[in-house]
Amino acid sequence: MLSFICLLILLVPHALFTSTHVAVIYPQDQVLRIGSTLMATCTLSPELGLHANKLYWTMNGMRLSSSTYDMVSPDTLSVTLHHLNGSQQKSGDNLVCHGADGLVLGGSCLYVGMPPEKPVNLTCWSRNAKDLSCKWSPGGPGETHIRTKYTLKYKLRWYSREKECDTYSSGKQRYSCHIPRNLALFTPYEIWVEATNELGSATSDITTLDILDVVTTDPPANVQVGRVGDLEDQLTVRWASPPELRDILFQAKYQIRYRLEDSTEWKVVDDVGNQTSCRLAGLQPGTVYFVQVRCNPVGIYGSRKAGIWSNWSHPTAASTPTPSERLQSGSCESKPSEHNSTLRRELKQFFGWVRKHAYGCSGMSIKLYDQWRVWLQKSHRTRNQILHDDNS
Amino acid sequence: MVTAMDSSHSLASERSSIESTYELTKYLEYQLKEIKDVYLTYLGPPFNEKDFSPPAATRLELWHGLENQARLAQNQKAYSVLLAAVRELARSTLCPSLKTSLLHFCTGLDGLLGSISALMTTLGYTLPPSSANMRMRPTMNDFARKVEGFWILRELQSWLWRSAKDFNRLKKRLRAH
Repeated sequence: MLSFICLLILLVPHALFTSTHVAVIYPQDQVLRIGSTLMATCTLSPELGLHANKLYWTMNGMRLSSSTYDMVSPDTLSVTLHHLNGSQQKSGDNLVCHGADGLVLGGSCLYVGMPPEKPVNLTCWSRNAKDLSCKWSPGGPGETHIRTKYTLKYKLRWYSREKECDTYSSGKQRYSCHIPRNLALFTPYEIWVEATNELGSATSDITTLDILDVVTTDPPANVQVGRVGDLEDQLTVRWASPPELRDILFQAKYQIRYRLEDSTEWKVVDDVGNQTSCRLAGLQPGTVYFVQVRCNPVGIYGSRKAGIWSNWSHPTAASTPTPSERLQSGSCESKPSEHNSTLRRELKQFFGWVRKHAYGCSGMSIKLYDQWRVWLQKSHRTRNQILHDDNS
Repeated sequence: MVTAMDSSHSLASERSSIESTYELTKYLEYQLKEIKDVYLTYLGPPFNEKDFSPPAATRLELWHGLENQARLAQNQKAYSVLLAAVRELARSTLCPSLKTSLLHFCTGLDGLLGSISALMTTLGYTLPPSSANMRMRPTMNDFARKVEGFWILRELQSWLWRSAKDFNRLKKRLRAH
């Protein structure tokens, strides 16, 4: 509080102040386990001239029941909190002592959580065998209420020197870390996560891996989908292997998936091998399909061990040819289509008349159409008659 | 000897740099409003409640009647102190995205400080001596630190609001010359 007053003195040199030593809350900055009990006291400074029986407590803005209070002395009121829940925010729960009219007299920050449990689900992957990213999950819920530090550590199995990962993500992918360089290939690494907070620490199980076992690449590039001549039930898919594969001497295997434009069900073509083109068959004619391709680097030196599938490429769309007109010649729809073309011809004439005589479509209505029919009849009898404009 | 043309020219450029400084102040005001809401939520209730008012020193302000130089000097001094305070807030914030927002805001404040200093130099005012780093921070408990954070942001808000008016007034006074 003192430094804050000094701050104000600097800001407005000629200002006047009153002193602010109001009440002392004890204890301060406590770290406690979930479910434990805490007793806190609020001691008033004598200048206030207040009595402890006028005080009340709140926790995170919620008033605490006076049944939990105890008047220790005329200037000290205590509160006892049982079965504490995990802290509501990482900056600490706010336990506040108030005077009459809600005046804030002082407060204390409380950190309630649990010691960490072994971090779990440690998963790692390498992009193009150049780096290593790992993610994990906290072992238990209690540790997420207080500030818990996670450190990803790794070492070559045959050496004792540990290294720490120092690029932790701060975004959505919270429990993850990225090791950008200096990773050895063809040798096993031991990787683990250590979790620490004020209440304890825990270490995850060790994961052993060779970088080459967990390689993933970018999706295939340049995915193109096109028709196969006139064939109505086929499409051909072509793509390029991701450029990074050249560097790491991997073979790749591919997978294709496709779906109808307005369907959510994907059909997967699994046995594409390491070609960079494939023909899809058995498709519906005259339909739009969305297609995606992904790749998996397969182990080197004859090993059939696969890596990790890349993301799917961006969807590419294409449509199969529509069935040809010839197919419809046998149908019995000639009458309606005749009717359609008569109607169409008539409409064309009507619109032409509207443009000439009604100056556009602003007065469009069935009345106008009737007028036109009348005009048609009249004009068959007397070609030179001109109708007046009628904007209805 | 400054010719009439020169002085009107430099006045014009002063007015445009005051205008930029004014715009910067309004922008910082807007940015601060967003950050303040997030920060107070991070502190947790009751800090983000509407009428929250923790114990603080009361103060009188001798603001009106200060002439140009005094106004600018006051602004300069205030923002130096406030910038240091917000940097400290950013450092101790546990939430990474909030920390980033605060640091970004500090960059803007730093820019404002630069603009004010430049303006004072252009107008021929002496810059106030840069105060020695007041590292008078006795160990504070976390609740007191939260209270300080609350007031720093509140203070910053009223300074930005006043500064905008100041720069506006300054602009008009210079035009009158």
